[in-house]
Amino acid sequence: MADLTEEGVLQRVRDELEAIKVPGAENAELDTTWEELDVDSLDLVELIKALEDEYQIVISDDELKPVETVGDAVKLTLKLAGTTA
Amino acid sequence: MSALAEKQEAGVAVVTGGTRGIGAAIADALRADGWTVVTIGRTSGDVQADVGSPEDVARAVEEIHEKFGKVLVLVNNAGITRDGLALRMTDSDWGDVVDTNLSGAFGFTRGVMGDMLRARWGRIVNVSSIVATRAQAGQANYIASKAGLLGLTGALAKEIGKRGVTVNAITPGFIETDMTAELDTDKLVEFIPAGRVGKPEEVAAAVRFLCSAEAGYINGATLSVDGGMGA
Repeated sequence: MADLTEEGVLQRVRDELEAIKVPGAENAELDTTWEELDVDSLDLVELIKALEDEYQIVISDDELKPVETVGDAVKLTLKLAGTTA
Repeated sequence: MSALAEKQEAGVAVVTGGTRGIGAAIADALRADGWTVVTIGRTSGDVQADVGSPEDVARAVEEIHEKFGKVLVLVNNAGITRDGLALRMTDSDWGDVVDTNLSGAFGFTRGVMGDMLRARWGRIVNVSSIVATRAQAGQANYIASKAGLLGLTGALAKEIGKRGVTVNAITPGFIETDMTAELDTDKLVEFIPAGRVGKPEEVAAAVRFLCSAEAGYINGATLSVDGGMGA
């Protein structure tokens, strides 16, 4: 499992976005929005599935709805994995 | 290196029900095109699985990834029949057929589509049947499952087409296989403009084309291989 810190999960999200070929993934910061990254619903589902597998968590549709930025995804992952950043 | 050869270096082709009949012919055709083919069979094949069991499908997908790597071509061909009139059709006859023919295809697709999405290239071919659109009595389960495959094909084409992954269906007519061996061919032929039943290789040729680099703009389509029977 990757490093369970804010920086660790952020890097994991960047790596994952890069793997699904999102342009500019390596420069993503916590306040970067999906809109800015041009992440579509399919990209987001792929990212979430990868985070679920990596951190052995389950992210529900309700939890996913308010996730609009990279930071939202990082925080949610840390929360569900039982760590507060 | 050709565009297709690059893909063949990066991934394999999986054919469910690939050990007999149409599936075996499809596996041969894809091998002839340069693919490393992984066949899925209940008791034989490169990876063994009961396609009608979600647990088995999940385990098979894991085994494929471990032993053979990424999957860039998937042919959902596994199919069974449990014919009978609906009035007397048992839940298990209905369930077994739908589980194998339709749910199994969904399970394999879900399991391997991530490989294709990441590669920005993939080919999924669902082997449906002429009866999906031209129903006949005595096969409510089989026909519902095969019609379901056409719906699944369209839905997936819309979902993942933007990633260079195509999802198409073929609808074979009457083909010489174990499954049709008991049918009265002479009577059937009356309804087939070609005047004969088809060969597994003729279905395989259509699948091979849909899996080729050239077929990249064909998505969500249904290709009939039925000697004109459905025309």
